[in-house]
Amino acid sequence: MTAQIAERLHYQGEDVAMCTNPLSDYFAMGGTNPRFESNCTALWRGYVGSWEIVDERLYLVGLSGTLEGGADATLATIFPDFPDRVFAHWYSGTIRIPQGKQLEYVHMGYGSTFERDLFLDIERGVIVSTRVRHNGTAESDNAPEGYEVGAMTVFPRSGKGEGESA
Amino acid sequence: MIYLYWYLGVGAVVLAVVYGAHHLTKEKESDSLRELLEAVNPDRKKLSYRILNNIVAPVLAAILVVAVWPVAIYMKVKEMLQEKESYVSPEEREFAVEREHLLERLTVQEIERREVVTDPLKAAPDLPFGHLNAAWQEFLQGKPDGAELWSFSAQWQTTWGRKELRCGYAVVQDGAPGAHFLTVWKDIPEEAEGGGSAKKARAGDIPGWLRKQAD
Repeated sequence: MTAQIAERLHYQGEDVAMCTNPLSDYFAMGGTNPRFESNCTALWRGYVGSWEIVDERLYLVGLSGTLEGGADATLATIFPDFPDRVFAHWYSGTIRIPQGKQLEYVHMGYGSTFERDLFLDIERGVIVSTRVRHNGTAESDNAPEGYEVGAMTVFPRSGKGEGESA
Repeated sequence: MIYLYWYLGVGAVVLAVVYGAHHLTKEKESDSLRELLEAVNPDRKKLSYRILNNIVAPVLAAILVVAVWPVAIYMKVKEMLQEKESYVSPEEREFAVEREHLLERLTVQEIERREVVTDPLKAAPDLPFGHLNAAWQEFLQGKPDGAELWSFSAQWQTTWGRKELRCGYAVVQDGAPGAHFLTVWKDIPEEAEGGGSAKKARAGDIPGWLRKQAD
């Protein structure tokens, strides 16, 4: 297991890391799943989505990934009639946006902890509340700021048996 | 003295059998499993740990098997019998709508009227269930003639203890719920989440993440 690359979210004028995958729910609820291919251990889901909040609504505005067979995936791969912007009406749940310095690095999933978590509670694609949780203060001034993945293994194009560490 | 030689000789044979069986049946530790174990226990990377784990422990085990091989045979037989008795599949339970989850009987038209998605930026089709309309149509095609449609809301606890809320519509035939179509699927936060403990939050995040990787 490896720490996973986060989704990207444009929120209140800033680009931030989003440690939630709303597109997974779309696939689980019956939406078209084009079968992505993972090209490294830090991205088992095989894609990175770019999201945006506009007027309290959650939109998917971009997607970068690789399909099985090696073709590039875009937003149009999943939503051919909506290649630029998709309202995430299927998503209900809580989006986690880590903020501040890193308290502890965990090399698994979105497990690393940060000084604060901003939570956006969403009902059917619309923000219904926001809250901030304070998790503590980093002991070192040199603690890294912002979400990052410490290391990963990149798979060669031919298979996943062997790879190179990064 | 001859009895001691015989005893140690049988012990050596037992050791050879145990060693061979171990190598034949041992599953190779995958990269991802190794990374997981190293994340949980960073000492695994140290040279001292590797010497202890890969050399000292196997040599001690081999000496013990030769010296007290009847105990090794007894323990192996006991382990095999226990495995047969207590094996439970670790697979996650599959969610199914139950009768007590049902809320209201509705027609297709009533459901589709209440589930039309509208978006001011026109980023979703003005259809029932929006981007999931094709999945809804497929769900309706699988509904047997004469079956009813009911809305439902269910609190569900997974095998791993995570609590979820699932809502949607279910096919009901002869009073028994069957296939369902989800409109809401979300985690129910732990009561302790507001307490501000980062460790509690992390413990909750990981299974959530695992579910989200199910695609």
